[in-house]
Amino acid sequence: MGLFWIPLLPLLGTVVPLLSSRFGRSFLALFTAIPPLLALLLLLQLAPSVFNGEVIYQSFDWIPLAGLSLTFRLDGLALLFALLILGIGLLVILYARYYLSAKDNMGLFYAYLILFMTAMLGIVLSGNLIQLWLFWELTSISSFLLISFWSHKSEARKGARMALTITGAGGLALLAGLLLVGKIVGSFDLSVVLASGDLLRQHAAYPVVLVLVLLGAFTKSAQFPFHFWLPHAMAAPTPVSAYLHSATMVKAGIFLMARFYPVLAGTELWFLIVSMTGLITLLLGAYVALFKHDLKGLLAYSTISHLGLITLLLGMNTQLSTVAAVFHIINHAIFKASLFMAAGIIDHESGTRDMRRLNGLWKYMPHTATLAMVAAASMAGVPLLNGFLSKEMFFAETLDQVTLGSLSWMVPVLATLGAVFSVAYSARFIHDVFFNGEPVDLPKTPHEPPRYMKVPVEILVALCLLLGIFPGVIVGPLLALASTSVLGGELPYYSLSIWHGFNLPLLMSFLAMLGGLIIYHNRRHLFRFQSQFPEPDAKLIFEWLVQRLVRLCSAIIDKLENGSLQRYVFLLLLAALVLMAGPMIDLNATLGHQSSMPVDTVSLIGALLLAAGAIATVILNRRRLVSLLTLSVVGLIVSLAFARFSAPDLALTQLSVEVVTMILLLLALFFLPQSTPKESNPRRLVRDLSLAGLIGGVIGTINYAMITRPLDSISGFFLENSKTGGGGTNVVNVILVDFRGMDTFGEVAVLGIAALGIFKLIVHMRLYMPSTDGNGLPWSPDRHPMMLAIVSQSLLPLALLVSVYIFLRGHNQPGGGFIAGLITSVAIIQQYIAHGVDWIKERLRINYQWMVASGLLIAGLTGIGSWFFGRPFLTSWFDYFSLPWVGKFELASAMVFDLGVYLTVVGATLLILANLGKLTTSHSPAAKENN
Amino acid sequence: MNWVEILLGFFVLLGGVFMLVGSIGLARLPDFYMRLHAPTKATTLGVGALLIASMMFFTIQDGAFSIHEILVTIFLFITAPVSAHMMAKSAVHVKTRIAKDTQGLAVRDAAEKRNNPLL
Repeated sequence: MGLFWIPLLPLLGTVVPLLSSRFGRSFLALFTAIPPLLALLLLLQLAPSVFNGEVIYQSFDWIPLAGLSLTFRLDGLALLFALLILGIGLLVILYARYYLSAKDNMGLFYAYLILFMTAMLGIVLSGNLIQLWLFWELTSISSFLLISFWSHKSEARKGARMALTITGAGGLALLAGLLLVGKIVGSFDLSVVLASGDLLRQHAAYPVVLVLVLLGAFTKSAQFPFHFWLPHAMAAPTPVSAYLHSATMVKAGIFLMARFYPVLAGTELWFLIVSMTGLITLLLGAYVALFKHDLKGLLAYSTISHLGLITLLLGMNTQLSTVAAVFHIINHAIFKASLFMAAGIIDHESGTRDMRRLNGLWKYMPHTATLAMVAAASMAGVPLLNGFLSKEMFFAETLDQVTLGSLSWMVPVLATLGAVFSVAYSARFIHDVFFNGEPVDLPKTPHEPPRYMKVPVEILVALCLLLGIFPGVIVGPLLALASTSVLGGELPYYSLSIWHGFNLPLLMSFLAMLGGLIIYHNRRHLFRFQSQFPEPDAKLIFEWLVQRLVRLCSAIIDKLENGSLQRYVFLLLLAALVLMAGPMIDLNATLGHQSSMPVDTVSLIGALLLAAGAIATVILNRRRLVSLLTLSVVGLIVSLAFARFSAPDLALTQLSVEVVTMILLLLALFFLPQSTPKESNPRRLVRDLSLAGLIGGVIGTINYAMITRPLDSISGFFLENSKTGGGGTNVVNVILVDFRGMDTFGEVAVLGIAALGIFKLIVHMRLYMPSTDGNGLPWSPDRHPMMLAIVSQSLLPLALLVSVYIFLRGHNQPGGGFIAGLITSVAIIQQYIAHGVDWIKERLRINYQWMVASGLLIAGLTGIGSWFFGRPFLTSWFDYFSLPWVGKFELASAMVFDLGVYLTVVGATLLILANLGKLTTSHSPAAKENN
Repeated sequence: MNWVEILLGFFVLLGGVFMLVGSIGLARLPDFYMRLHAPTKATTLGVGALLIASMMFFTIQDGAFSIHEILVTIFLFITAPVSAHMMAKSAVHVKTRIAKDTQGLAVRDAAEKRNNPLL
């Protein structure tokens, strides 16, 4: 079972070019080719069993809870596409070796290319819808990188942005569609989905699913009206165009339609959308291609037209048309890749792609010219070449159409018209470039390219001929196999021979040839006619739209985010109110059935003090220090309430947090304006008061409703298992370090991140430092009074002793790493206050960032440690030991985890406070600036 | 009711009385320096008495000598004078209003001069 390795090998191969770029360009290309080559060999080795009708399937659990698995699935269609991707990919690697100049970063280019190859292989081999989408988006991203490879060019950047926006947006639509499919079918597994076609088609949401999935496919395959990104993607290096824009990425949309053909096709809606889009794209692309003077522009529009043709075939709802679609996928990939490569050679050797200047190159590069001419003839549908065969099939199918009712005759006529233009632009490609007089003012004298640059083109052109002459032998089995997996059943009868006798399709081909040559001959008139129309530049329109969107967004953001904290709080509370009010109205009775506790005097006084403190803070908010004091009353009463209602751990934590918060607020107040201006007008006062009242009312109601209802919680489990399972009698601590250890780990990680974020914000901050207080009194010159300094210093060991005590007893009695960490922080901050930053800096050489990091590392490693004993992450271990003199004591791994928590808390708190404090010292940037 | 309970009650009441007097003093005394006097006495003496009561109670209840209160006392006795000192220094610096019967202004002036040699 090597299926898994087929996408994995190229994925590993992405680093190969990056590592081997120093060995020179030829070796670089060689090394780069090895992983895809191995993958191709692997694929070929798996091919026989697929030809025997097997579907190879390999699956790994990814997120089983969400129904996601890493599934790879190889059937006929996937085999065909994987062969195209790897085969043409290898040719492109060889070609790019000669195409890129020494100035280009070739290793990077190859890395992007191989990444893209991985993504494409991932799409075609995915057996899971979400996984398919993931690779789908990866192709968008890697194609963005490839198109913008020459990022110094403005058009490359714009083209890449446009491609990413269009295909990325389509990808989002596709995700929505796939999620709906998964919802309807009940599984994201492709095999399950493919087997539930009827279920999907009869579901009420089918039109929505269809439109969403088709949006994804149409944007990727450049179908009208999303076709405009493809011509602009031509700013990419030509190997990219040969690979992405002919053979692979633009075929991803086609692949998607073919993949979901068994489940989504077969309805009126499918026919209407897919065939009409295909028809319009076919005609539009073919018509515009004729007028493009840029060689690659012509090929881009021709690609759009051919993609439209395939889409039209897929939308025709006859089984034979589907076979024709698969056949044309193969043919188009082969001739278009070779044409792009030829165009790249011409550009490379003559310095321009402008067909008004490129003339008569036959004399200069006969070999390349022959190859390009054969490929172009195949594109035009000349007999004995592969393009002819699929075009004949296409014509035959258009004749059988009845779905448009009495207007059905239009389909073959329009198809012939499209073919006429196709012949005309192919004729232009051949005649304008290789004949038609002498070259005009070329930057270089054209000559044949290096020998090996032609090899990929030769191989592809040889395939064009072989397929055109011996179709049954060369491609018959593969075509049958791929078509079977698209149709999901028996194949209709078809014949791959070149000669079917004189019939209507042959006549249509003949008409197309004749009409095309006539049009090309009279092209001057047509060009003059076309020049009357203004030519809109999609790039400018797109940029304009993007700019408009950006302006609109920033206008909205400016309205919401104007820097006023009051407004943020107002909006936040308003949103919370709106969200909470609904469920609250549904709740019928506020009062539950729980009997209430008796009211005692102490609690009552505490509650009154709490309310008074809160109200006083609001009323006194302009007197900064006083309101800080009233605020601390609130904090103290809350911690007393915790102690009163049997939550000593919370009380301790609240107390320490309160202290730290007060210091933080004092530090922050130093930098804020010394006096708060009176700015609220009466209307605003009423607005704010009513919002605050409403929020308070809602929160109060919620709390009241909560506490008057019997609570069915898992507390009982924790209480029972705390000692036996976690080895501690302090249930709160055991919950923190054991039962919910993962949560704690996440929380301290967030704390550490927040501290680092704050540090980053303030480390280079330049703040205005007031030299006097609000009343104009200068600060006291005695910054660090000796008595305070000496006493604080002598208190430090005592305080640290307390924190060690609190830490150690945490597992069995109120305490633990978090509280101990806060106590240590307070003790050290006390030193900062008493001695000043400069004094501490010389004595306490601790890097707080490292402290946070090592704390997290210790906590994480403790968690990982349990893996070595075959237990889940963060399972704690404990046992009892005895030592002489000390007696019996307990050791628990939870303690090490708690140490990690402790270090993180100390590091984070000090990182914030010490750095805020540092802003006031002579080392702060502001002070330096003043000097 | 045995003698332990009487003794315990006495210390609790003593602490309560000191606290009450301290609080009344904080509310009633006319200026900052006098007001500083009342609560610092309340903390040292009042809390001290309560701590003795607490130590006795837990020692008898648990049957082992309770050491927490001694630690609390040490912390309190170290920190209370320093915070009072810091408050007094601040008061000198910001020149709080002084009632007319406040005594020992010479000390305050000396402190002010030392704080700010430019005066």
